[in-house]
Amino acid sequence: MTMPFSPPLVRMQNLHKSYGPEIQVLKGLDIEMKPGERVVVIGPSGGGKSTLLRVMMGLEKIDSGSITFGGKPYISSEGVGRKTVIDTEVRRSIGMVFQHYTLFPHLNVVQNLILAPCKVRGERKAEATERAIALLSRFGLGAKAKAFPAQLSGGQKQRVAIARALMLDPKLMLFDEVTSALDPELVAEVEQVILQLANQNMPMMIVTHDMWFARNIASRVIFCAGGVVVEDGPPEQVLGSPKEERTKDFIERVFHIRQ
Amino acid sequence: MDLNFSVLLRFQDALLLGLWMTIKLTLICMVLGCTLGFLVGLARTSRNVFVRGLSSVYVEFFRGTPVLIQLFWIFFCLPLLLGVELSNLTSGVIALTLYMGAITSETFRASLKSVGPEQLDACVALGLPKRVQVTSVVLPQAVLRAIPTLLSNCVSLFKESALVSAVGMADLMFVGQNISNNTARPVEALTIVALIYFAIAFPLTRAVSIIEARILKKLAI
Ligand SMILES: Nc1ncnc2c1ncn2[C@@H]1O[C@H](COP(=O)(O)OP(=O)(O)O)[C@@H](O)[C@H]1O
Ligand SMILES: [Mg+2]
Repeated sequence: MTMPFSPPLVRMQNLHKSYGPEIQVLKGLDIEMKPGERVVVIGPSGGGKSTLLRVMMGLEKIDSGSITFGGKPYISSEGVGRKTVIDTEVRRSIGMVFQHYTLFPHLNVVQNLILAPCKVRGERKAEATERAIALLSRFGLGAKAKAFPAQLSGGQKQRVAIARALMLDPKLMLFDEVTSALDPELVAEVEQVILQLANQNMPMMIVTHDMWFARNIASRVIFCAGGVVVEDGPPEQVLGSPKEERTKDFIERVFHIRQ
Repeated sequence: MDLNFSVLLRFQDALLLGLWMTIKLTLICMVLGCTLGFLVGLARTSRNVFVRGLSSVYVEFFRGTPVLIQLFWIFFCLPLLLGVELSNLTSGVIALTLYMGAITSETFRASLKSVGPEQLDACVALGLPKRVQVTSVVLPQAVLRAIPTLLSNCVSLFKESALVSAVGMADLMFVGQNISNNTARPVEALTIVALIYFAIAFPLTRAVSIIEARILKKLAI
């Protein structure tokens, strides 16, 4: 390492999130992410993985806690039921792709890609279109530039969704089970694109149930259950020889393997 | 009973004039009514309780009372209330616009609701400001989804407009009734009038199904 101390890219402190008084989803999460890390989050369904990513994206209010990005605080809460303060300028460095396709159905592929660059950054349409087409060809979607979302396969839609997020030059990408809704034969093409990003050192946080993918992409794996981090470490350890009983159980059950 | 349609031939011009009045009334009230309905549809999703309350009272009142009574009310009571004379055409336009505004506001409201929360999540994740979310994502989708139902609403308006004959406006229906009185051949006169209404409404309803299929195909993702 050239730097003796590298500040965290993301630092979450004591995150609490509930849906109403009954459902406590995040119960005091502390996660730090270093620059260049690719964190895979695994855990039982309902364990709060999506909520975690949605909170990081500023899509959900929090009860308490704070998140910084690149050293700058951008999400904090004024207390339970009070306002969640979000710095939208900082949030713009984060991109997210969802499990269910969220392309804009009334816009074609290129229009989906250039909407935010033109409207948010004031980029010229011709320039944005040029960048969009270059990005699409890199993802093997050059021929689909004029297609509408309804004319695409699930795998193509997710690749377009990833390209759309990349148009804003994010410094961190969040992927929430982006292949879970796909037919099995379409999973690889989407994972390929994400691996391509990993090769370019894009920091990312990924929620996935795909063991092969998790092993291949993760620089770190977090096992999250019951709203807290149960285990956190390199992929060989957490996926290969977990220390915690709950992690072991989960991995055996979900990935159908015996260590 | 012997039917004799040939006696109607000499009323061709009167029928055309009546048809023109019906079409004019429908087109004007279609444009004004859809605009009103769009604004009221937005008002009904407003966060302001007063705006929301007022707009629902309007919609529920006009949807829950017979159009004929609305017409009489506007033709005979509104001028007294306002203290000004209203021409037949003005009163007809006001009445049918209010009717059309009430039904199309429901169409717009439903189509606004059909834009799912995940679309808004995507907007936020892309950093789109609220104004852009509304103008570039929500409204275009809502309006596209509304088009087939709006067209059906227009067909209803076209047919409902026949009620203005009851307050003496010289529309197609009114001409038909006059012919029937003058010739004492109500069956022939009303059949011809019905056929004219049908000849215009039927292609429109067919168009609705075709457009609906196209839009659904485009927007289903
Ligand atoms: N909008 C919501 N309203 C109420 N409860 C919710 C909402 N979203 C998620 N939950 C609940 O929060 C818990 C965590 O959900 P989620 O973060 O989606 O888990 P995961 O992604 O790990 O499966 C679940 O019990 C879920 O039912
Ligand atoms: Mg989830």
